[in-house]
Amino acid sequence: MKTKIYLVNFITHFILVVVSLSCIFPVFWMISSSLKSQEEIFTKMTLLPAHPNWSNYILAWTRAEFGQYFLNSAIYTITGVFGIVFISSLAAYGFARLEVWGKRFLFYLLISTLLIPIPGVFVPLYLMLNKMGLLDTRLGLVLCYVSGNLAFGIFLLRSFFEELPKEIEEAALIDGASRFGIYWRIALPLARPALATLIIFNSLSIWNEFLLALVVLQDKTKMPIQRGLMVFQGTHITDYPMLMAGLTIATIPVIVIYLLMQKHIVKGIAAGALKG
Amino acid sequence: MTKLSRDKTINLLFILPALVLFLIFNFYPLLRTFQLSFHEWDGIALKMKFVGLAQYRHILTQNPAFWRAMGNATYVTVLALTVQNGLALLLALLVNREIRGDNIYRTIFFLPPVLSGIVVGLIWKWIYDGNYGILNYFLASCGWQSFANYSWLSEIKTSLTAVAIVHMWKGFGYGFIILLAGLQTIPRELYEAATVDGADAWQQFKHITVPSMIPVFTVVAILTILGTMQIFDLIYSMTRGGPAGHTDVPITRIYEYMANGEFGYSTAMAVIFGIVLLSVSVVQIEASRRLNNK
Amino acid sequence: MSRRLLYVLMLSLLLPAFASCSKRASSPKADVVIWHWMTDRQASFEKLAAEYEKEKGVRVVFETYAPSEVYRDKIRAAASGKLLPEVYNPLGDKREMASFIKSGYIANITPEMEKGWAKAFYPKPLSQNTFDSSNEFGVAPGIYGVPIDVSAIEIYYNKDLFKQAGLDPEKPPQTWDEFLEAGKKLRSAGIQPFASGFGEGWLIGVFAASYEWNLLGKQGLIDTYKGKIPYTDERWVRVFKLFDEMKQSGLFVSGIATMVNKDAERIFATGKAAMALNGSWGVNVYYTMNPNLNYGIMLPPKLKEARYPMAIFGGEGSSFNFNPLSPNKEKAVEFFKWLTEKNQQIVLATETRNIPANRDAGADLPPILKTFAENINKTFDPLPVIEDWRVTNIKNLGLQAIIIGEKPSAQVAREVQAEKERQEKDKQK
Repeated sequence: MKTKIYLVNFITHFILVVVSLSCIFPVFWMISSSLKSQEEIFTKMTLLPAHPNWSNYILAWTRAEFGQYFLNSAIYTITGVFGIVFISSLAAYGFARLEVWGKRFLFYLLISTLLIPIPGVFVPLYLMLNKMGLLDTRLGLVLCYVSGNLAFGIFLLRSFFEELPKEIEEAALIDGASRFGIYWRIALPLARPALATLIIFNSLSIWNEFLLALVVLQDKTKMPIQRGLMVFQGTHITDYPMLMAGLTIATIPVIVIYLLMQKHIVKGIAAGALKG
Repeated sequence: MTKLSRDKTINLLFILPALVLFLIFNFYPLLRTFQLSFHEWDGIALKMKFVGLAQYRHILTQNPAFWRAMGNATYVTVLALTVQNGLALLLALLVNREIRGDNIYRTIFFLPPVLSGIVVGLIWKWIYDGNYGILNYFLASCGWQSFANYSWLSEIKTSLTAVAIVHMWKGFGYGFIILLAGLQTIPRELYEAATVDGADAWQQFKHITVPSMIPVFTVVAILTILGTMQIFDLIYSMTRGGPAGHTDVPITRIYEYMANGEFGYSTAMAVIFGIVLLSVSVVQIEASRRLNNK
Repeated sequence: MSRRLLYVLMLSLLLPAFASCSKRASSPKADVVIWHWMTDRQASFEKLAAEYEKEKGVRVVFETYAPSEVYRDKIRAAASGKLLPEVYNPLGDKREMASFIKSGYIANITPEMEKGWAKAFYPKPLSQNTFDSSNEFGVAPGIYGVPIDVSAIEIYYNKDLFKQAGLDPEKPPQTWDEFLEAGKKLRSAGIQPFASGFGEGWLIGVFAASYEWNLLGKQGLIDTYKGKIPYTDERWVRVFKLFDEMKQSGLFVSGIATMVNKDAERIFATGKAAMALNGSWGVNVYYTMNPNLNYGIMLPPKLKEARYPMAIFGGEGSSFNFNPLSPNKEKAVEFFKWLTEKNQQIVLATETRNIPANRDAGADLPPILKTFAENINKTFDPLPVIEDWRVTNIKNLGLQAIIIGEKPSAQVAREVQAEKERQEKDKQK
């Protein structure tokens, strides 16, 4: 019996380790390339740089004026994610639990944006922003981000809300709680894993977003970090070490957010609520 | 007004903010784009020419390249639904068991989605490279000399699958997180009670895990289908749709037409593509609904 | 109704509004704004702009948007919102340029050019910014843009690798048969002969075009585009067959069918291929990758049976167009008159290793660039008609299929002709 458990454990860890290595390798390569010189990257295909150029990071930061872009990206991501989480969870709860006029129709309408990929839709969007005077404004860009990501949030959260045990909510209703109170105090906390997921995904998507920001914003002082990376991509020559350094810097915040959020995708919260 | 209909109206307020934003920033541009699909426009000219359904007819009957691209995307999607999500589920189940170091694994598995498409495309292109690729180096040193200069991305037989593998590698992290979150919301007591009743791991999986996870599976399946059918960045950075169109997908076709001044036509292609995806998703959602209510 | 609900609603909509409160950066208003895609030249541009401001008091600002696909999207969006800067370039083909002109986004600068400005340039790049009276696009004849440099596409070859294979590094192949022979010799010496970004359709088209001009000549091409000569004509099939011959002689580097030019450049720069089809910008690229590379350039080797001279792709490098809707258009034109003067052109040429558009600046170029400059007169003449992009696309894809051995050249010729006939029929509807 013990050998069976041992074997299962061994296989489990083996699979996990192999997959992990394949995930780490590119990050390792990215950092390793960022420490090489341009010539080295093209002439020698070694795993580790001969003389690590840590100064590449400082150069990348100053040349790409990262400080400003970093702050902008942070603003867009934080406000965008807040907006998405609140608005989509409200709507998702409405779709999951409440009686509303034309519920089914509205639901499909709202998630239809997920389903119709129109790359060219940014042209009418741009024209409309222009007419509304929202072009080259932070507000305009954030509103685009929020509305663009609502569908996914509503879709994900509705499934989670539907799966929550109805008893607690019904008990609260009998106790006289308002619908909003139930949403705010019961449903939201129970859906913490789903909310954390949403925060992670949307932070990633807004932080990495490039095209809309580039087209909507004219003022350099408002541009996000992906714009800063453009500096390293020339017409014919790409400054690979700098680009890799820049990409590494740009990747770190998302990993940090992920580390903070993934704590919430942890067992025990749901169980705890049931017991209480 | 009855209490129910008054409630129904108040409850609308929950959905209102989302609805308003949607109507202004999504729906209206969508309508305009839809309108565009009935016109011939090069993206610049001040006047558009109305052509009715002509472009739609052309796509449905005279554009085999578009449907081949659809087929390519479908192939990758089927692979993603089975291999990618299977892997994600397996990993989620393993990590869910609270083994040693599960925190570290959770962080690592999320790295591929976090990486920018540029990095992923570059690295895998390097791995697959016929001349310097590490894959061929590895195979050759294992004795398979015939692969010494094989260009995985340039040969018809392997190019699409090679790109599919990269897509799955980059995407499994998303499925992993959602599935893990779903697994975490299943109350532990159910499993404990089942163990007391004498059920083994497989039975617990079949009777507790699977039924509770059906809505989550549906979500993951739909997101996989939508995300994979719309694959673009990787194809563009690795093969440009080549060799000779064997890795073309609908979005690369749409972009190509747009870049060549066929805005109206490419929009029509996008609308047709959207309708296909919409139908598939609606069917899935309804099917899952029915399965759940049983 | 719960107050909480109200608070949450307001909060989620107001947060973005708070985010937009920021002090506007107060930079002095620019007189002339130029949008470009050449990141590597930003520093040189800024230096020259500063000089100009000191001299003339006019403030010129260069803004980069890269890479070029992204630049194109930005231009198109700005055009539809009428928010284009003083100077830019749509980076499209002649048909797109015509569309911009007809919509009033590009100014006709023939009057300024005729006052003597035009004489400074090589004729080719200028003619690529010109629409003549026989053009099929419906554009009023005239000059619509100004070139700041020129480029051409030829074949680079690695002298050291040539020597290694027993080939004379100072006498590269002059004819097609010599070319195939050289390929075989390189292969047997264990060297990969030929690389290029053939994963990018246009580059295959460029190589094929040299031979199309060689075999069919200018009128032959015009006749084909007008539908008078079919693609199944034996001359066209011969052009397609050339790629098959290259394949049979083992000329192609592994993976060439999906290779982008950047990778081909890397392969040549690191000495893994003996020849590379690339543009004059390659001089700068190879220098940054491997300054010790010992190479020369050669024209595409001509066919024995060809009746017309060998021509190469090029002429135009980078050009700029002017926005007629801007009040500062005159200032912008004045700036470019200054920028294309001999001294400024020499600065740009030396700092960015490109061939200047100004003829007088060509005398002091380093040897390789000088050879390129001397060959500028061999570039294709601009044609009054262009082929439908779908037909060109099928042709380029067909050539890729020949390279990977999927289809024989006769079949590709038939497919291209079929597409051509389909387009002709559609046009008549």
